[in-house]
Amino acid sequence: MNTRSTRPLIDIENASKTYVTASSGQVHALERVNLAILEGEFVCVVGPSGCGKSTLLRMLAGLDECDGGRLTLAGREVEGPSGEVGVVFQAANLLPWLTVRENVRLPLRVGGRHEPADTRIDDLLAMAGLGDFGGRYPYELSGGMQQRAGICRALARNPQILLMDEPFGALDALTRERMNIELQRIWQSNRKTIMLITHSISEAIFLADRVVVMSARPGRILADLPVPIPRPRSFDTIVSHERYAGLASAIRGLLNAQEGAPND
Amino acid sequence: MTNTGTQVGADPATLLDQTEMSLDPEAPEAADAAPSTRRRRNRYTVDGSVIAGFGLIVLIAGWISAVRFMHVPAYILPAPEAVLRALWAGLAVNPASPQGYYLPLWSTLSNAAAGFAIGTGMGLLLGSLMAESRMVEKLLMPYAFALQSLPKVAIAPLIVIWFGFGDGSKVAIAALLAFFPVLINSFTGLRSTEPERIDLMRSLSATRFETYRIVKLPNAAPFIFAGLDMAVVYALLGAIVAEFLGAQQGMGVVITQAQAVSDVAGVFAALVILGALGIVLHTSIRRLEHRVVHWGRRGKQ
Repeated sequence: MNTRSTRPLIDIENASKTYVTASSGQVHALERVNLAILEGEFVCVVGPSGCGKSTLLRMLAGLDECDGGRLTLAGREVEGPSGEVGVVFQAANLLPWLTVRENVRLPLRVGGRHEPADTRIDDLLAMAGLGDFGGRYPYELSGGMQQRAGICRALARNPQILLMDEPFGALDALTRERMNIELQRIWQSNRKTIMLITHSISEAIFLADRVVVMSARPGRILADLPVPIPRPRSFDTIVSHERYAGLASAIRGLLNAQEGAPND
Repeated sequence: MTNTGTQVGADPATLLDQTEMSLDPEAPEAADAAPSTRRRRNRYTVDGSVIAGFGLIVLIAGWISAVRFMHVPAYILPAPEAVLRALWAGLAVNPASPQGYYLPLWSTLSNAAAGFAIGTGMGLLLGSLMAESRMVEKLLMPYAFALQSLPKVAIAPLIVIWFGFGDGSKVAIAALLAFFPVLINSFTGLRSTEPERIDLMRSLSATRFETYRIVKLPNAAPFIFAGLDMAVVYALLGAIVAEFLGAQQGMGVVITQAQAVSDVAGVFAALVILGALGIVLHTSIRRLEHRVVHWGRRGKQ
């Protein structure tokens, strides 16, 4: 774990959320969730489908309002999208009418910013192995490359915090493992504070400093498990690490204890 | 004019197009891996033009045999030669000659173009305002549909009273007809923007106009082009209907004058010109769409 700071960069206190939907009336999505993430930490949140983990992330990004509790990012209360947080969406979410480079540069063009296309965009693309693809359109890229471009876009404003909502869920297993290795490399090189939502146990253990397990709706935090496996991790060696099997079965046990919650 | 159905019907058509797109997500790889699929597609397009040519031949052959063997009188159906002669008489003249098609065609086209520009511009503007604001939508949508359900040909005399027999009323009727398909298609297209893309712009603290310009408008582009495609033909139609009601020049005048002297071949020749013009305009809009919506078929995956 990180020794730079003990001040939580992301602080969630008693966050609750209730939706009102037309079909099922009131939906209690989150129930008094408490979570603190330190600067430079990589935290993965796992939980059954519909447990409100995406809601939690959307609330941190300022896209949804919370109706109970307090959310603070870097000491400032969240009151809407701040533009200071990088968000990586499910399935890349690139704009098909912009080139890869224009997509990655988008955060520098909007929200009152008119920053020149400096070398940072090129550096980001090069770091993600997309150096030769800046002029291409998203549909010319594979799913994995698209998501790498999506991560570059989230990093364009050089945010302290990266929020990732099941970023690799749409990818095949092999590509997904490769993307996990890439993400670990990116994180190790610039030490962003990352909260990543996933429902893959192996992905969570591979990437995280801490795995947070959430319950089925209404979402509560069931466990907060540190992953004491040294980095850089690799998929070949991590499964044989003495703590891996125990961690995986602990998480699986917690998830399976949830009513009707199938998990991979 | 029964265009209510056609215009609203265009939206499901566009949606259908997109469904086809999403059925083909791995198209670039698939095309390389399965050349037979690509060949089949190419053969299909060749078949298309062959079929169109064959259809034209059958049509003309049927026409000739109706005139020759079934003795349909010339005042009902003139012989193809007579129509060709009339066409030639209208085309093979000095472009400045009042006998030719060029001056009336120019008059009709320029009025239709002005009406098209005004009508589609207003359609896009109001469609955008309605898509952006529920209040504007609630305020304007009933009138838009009331206007659309009126037969515009019935309003045309009123417009002639307002704008006179000059170009003004032609432009106004053309604009009125071009307005609705763009209004409703831009509204639908802007509203159909994926919420994830709006979330992206929100997460970047983008302004409303930035979201409109960078995300919503390109997203609506295929819808808007479908509207423009209809609007361009309706604008031409509107200009000609206005000319029927009274005008000094234009293709509508050419038709009514030929009709006045029972020159059926002349009427047919003018209709052929207008039909050809319709095809040219439709094809131009399609070409433009392919150029602008370059991400087209694969962009929606």
